[in-house]
Amino acid sequence: MHQRTGCAEYDMLSRRRFLAASSGAALAAASAPAWLPRVALARDYRGAQRDVLISIYLRGASDGLSLVPPHADANYYSLRPTLNVPRPGSNAPSRAIDLDGFFGLAPAMAPLLPAYQDGNLLIVHACGSTDTTRSHFEAQRLMETASSTATASTTGWLGRHIQSVQPMDPGALLRAVAIDSALPQTLIGAPRTLPIPDLDAFGLSGYSQSSDQREAVLRQLYGGSGGGRLAAVASDTLSTIDLLDTINFAGYVPGNAAVYPGSSFGVAMRSAAALIKARVGVEAIAIDVEGWDTHSNQGTTGGFLASLMTTLAQGLAAFYTDMGAGAAPSYTLVCMSEFGRRAAENGSAGTDHGRGNAMFVMGGCVRGGRVLADWPGLAPEQLYERLDLDVTIDYRDILAEILSTRLGNQNLQSVFPGFTPTTRSILSC
Amino acid sequence: MTDAANDSASALLDPGASPRREAPGVRLSRRAWLRGFAGAGAAHAACGAAHATASADPDPSSLLLKLVRRVTYHPTPEELALAAQLGYDGYLERQLNHLALSDAALTAPLARLTTLGMTYAQLLAINNSGQVRNELTEALILRAQLSSRQLFERMVEFWTDHFSVDFTSGDCSLHKTIDDRDVIRPHALGTFPALLQASTRSPAMLVFLDNVSSNRIRPNENYARELLELHTMGVNSGYTQTDVQEVARCFTGWRVRPDSSGPTAGQFYFDAAAHDEGQKVVLGNVIPANGGMADGVRVAQILAEHPATAAFIAGKLTRWLLGEHASASVVRDVAPVYTSTSGDIKAMVRRALRPEHLHDASPKLKRPFHLCASALRAVGGVITSTSRLRTELRLAGHSPYSWKTPDGYPDTFEHWSGLVQPRWNFAATLGNQSLTGVTLDFSVFFAGAAGVDAMMARLNERLFGGEMSPDEFEHVRQYMLPEPTTTSKLRDAVGLALSTPSFQWF
Repeated sequence: MHQRTGCAEYDMLSRRRFLAASSGAALAAASAPAWLPRVALARDYRGAQRDVLISIYLRGASDGLSLVPPHADANYYSLRPTLNVPRPGSNAPSRAIDLDGFFGLAPAMAPLLPAYQDGNLLIVHACGSTDTTRSHFEAQRLMETASSTATASTTGWLGRHIQSVQPMDPGALLRAVAIDSALPQTLIGAPRTLPIPDLDAFGLSGYSQSSDQREAVLRQLYGGSGGGRLAAVASDTLSTIDLLDTINFAGYVPGNAAVYPGSSFGVAMRSAAALIKARVGVEAIAIDVEGWDTHSNQGTTGGFLASLMTTLAQGLAAFYTDMGAGAAPSYTLVCMSEFGRRAAENGSAGTDHGRGNAMFVMGGCVRGGRVLADWPGLAPEQLYERLDLDVTIDYRDILAEILSTRLGNQNLQSVFPGFTPTTRSILSC
Repeated sequence: MTDAANDSASALLDPGASPRREAPGVRLSRRAWLRGFAGAGAAHAACGAAHATASADPDPSSLLLKLVRRVTYHPTPEELALAAQLGYDGYLERQLNHLALSDAALTAPLARLTTLGMTYAQLLAINNSGQVRNELTEALILRAQLSSRQLFERMVEFWTDHFSVDFTSGDCSLHKTIDDRDVIRPHALGTFPALLQASTRSPAMLVFLDNVSSNRIRPNENYARELLELHTMGVNSGYTQTDVQEVARCFTGWRVRPDSSGPTAGQFYFDAAAHDEGQKVVLGNVIPANGGMADGVRVAQILAEHPATAAFIAGKLTRWLLGEHASASVVRDVAPVYTSTSGDIKAMVRRALRPEHLHDASPKLKRPFHLCASALRAVGGVITSTSRLRTELRLAGHSPYSWKTPDGYPDTFEHWSGLVQPRWNFAATLGNQSLTGVTLDFSVFFAGAAGVDAMMARLNERLFGGEMSPDEFEHVRQYMLPEPTTTSKLRDAVGLALSTPSFQWF
């Protein structure tokens, strides 16, 4: 039975179904196997036509020169006398893992090697925005809205994408979600989209016996004109509470015996996989990883940054393993940050705000197993303002190809107004 | 109300209890008056005088209610009565003159929070940073609920975000208690230049933004950039990368004594050996060589006097008080006040809250902390522990002093409008009296209110200043019917009233 339906991930009843099952009438009414998410049968799922997009944002400007060190660029070691990742051939106990003879992975990023070696993980280096601000908040805003200071937009690129395509599932109650307590700007503008910090705990508190009546009153209070600017969110929230109640996140069993780390990022990736496999029509999931603003005591190889990289890599690797199993829905994952960090280390054993950075793309159709870069170099005259790794690949090139090729977007001008992407051929299908 | 079944709500109420301390003139709203809810008539009789005075203006009571909403965490009937008595300007001046207001109600609840008054060395000695953080948060909640200095507390919230320090960030957990006590609170209604100077030497800030490890050989830019971008001039206001680097040089040597320093541990000091004594140029101003600590003081002065700072601070303050879409013309009215008064915060608040400005202001969505504080004020919950309240705030994404980045919790509808479920759950839990640590005594809250209509009138009075929308009123009323309502329905109804769209705005 499990094999036939492909839903072996859910081996326990959902909470509310479980309660309902204790009543004989409810049990009789249920014609589907009790362990199966109700929506899996109820919906005409057409997700196979499009990838689900997972957008990971590294808040605070990740140090791309540590995550993916250019170990064959001699200037790297003179700029980072104490904060470098040692050469792959060195005797250092913690050293770079060579990728292509020029770039390497920080040892803490090692969990990503299988995806890279399978050809499903692409790294894009010296990548970023054409805007040169070194303000986190301005850079995030401009990158997430994919606009310039002059043409500042309030909606996000992913929000506009969701707006501009037909729903993957016409009956979808939830088209996109941020596993967070607020929507990132990336998703602003997306219809039927909510921030949900914990997918497994999205229910209504209070007396359980009056839960349905109270839910009805909330619908009345927020319906019509009464809900004002909160009307849509309230309606989506109530629908989504019922929707998520049918998915047993706690009982989810990852595929391929994947093991998610217990970090909040690991938990978020795990619930993202469960949500995708529940096939409820979710088209995009956004997850933030915080803490990359490493101005002091950076700890590239065995400190703060190393442990943050481990958190990131383990979460991504578990998701890769899990989603590689059987007939899991296809996905593309992107991971980026607002800018990179200063090429030279500062006097606090840290790095200040920089510019060019590494971006990661993962998925079954990604032409991975390589580092895509037009390396500008790290010599003083090659650095932007003689300070920072320059940007030679626009992050929008990467996003545009994914949206048009894997997410069915035929209207890129509504997502990236006035922008003509350069083809980077990052996808094989 | 007849004495009905055991679960009748009347069983909760002590019929012999005297009516809750009713101040004269508790109701200000003509709309509520005209609506004439059953059961509210008796109280109305007492406020006839206040009404008569107010009736010269088309609806001055409504604007007064709006003012009380803006400058407090919730317009309790007692606060509204005071406003009716003092009038618009009188009430605002009373709140602006915060030091003249007694805060006796806070003395006992705050007394047990022993860490609030400690030095860093003493905080270090108790060796329990969790206790230090929890007590600071508890104090914040208690003050928001109980302080008579409501506008002051609202301004503390504003400056706490403006000079945001994440106290979950390692070394900041103890420093934030001192920053709150010695930097934010003394200056929250003082002058911006003094607040800024105090912040530049706040150990919490210098630690949070890495200035403590900056040195003259390779300065750390973190504090310098945020000082320009977030604290004073604002992004894209004309400073350059070179200015950031020069400001960073000026603040080299502004440090904090290590934990091993005995009684002076955690205190600010100037380390001349780490200071870059060369000449600097900041925003075109030459800062001569060998200035020592005067360099940083001078930078803060240059920034405080910069026109971009006047515009940035006035704009942000105006949006805090009037809403994020406050018109450019209002900001243009407030910004010159910054310049003419050398950054007097009270003067800017006074100008921003001119009746004509407030009249045009749109409602603001309460941030979760504001919602929590207003609900506690509205229902008169007695707090014995804030552990669960802190959890509720965390679930809503608004744990005090815990925003990760130095820009502080956002003050935008967009940020806070996505997650409404924790609001409803907080309301339901508070209403049905399962919010551990908060005692809600219905025999006090509903004292004298017999029957559903009287109970609804009480909810309308205490939660909505008498201006609950008729539709919301009817939905909640229907939920409580039929008479006699039950205890559990009454509890649910309180939660639903706190969950209404109207209660989410102020």
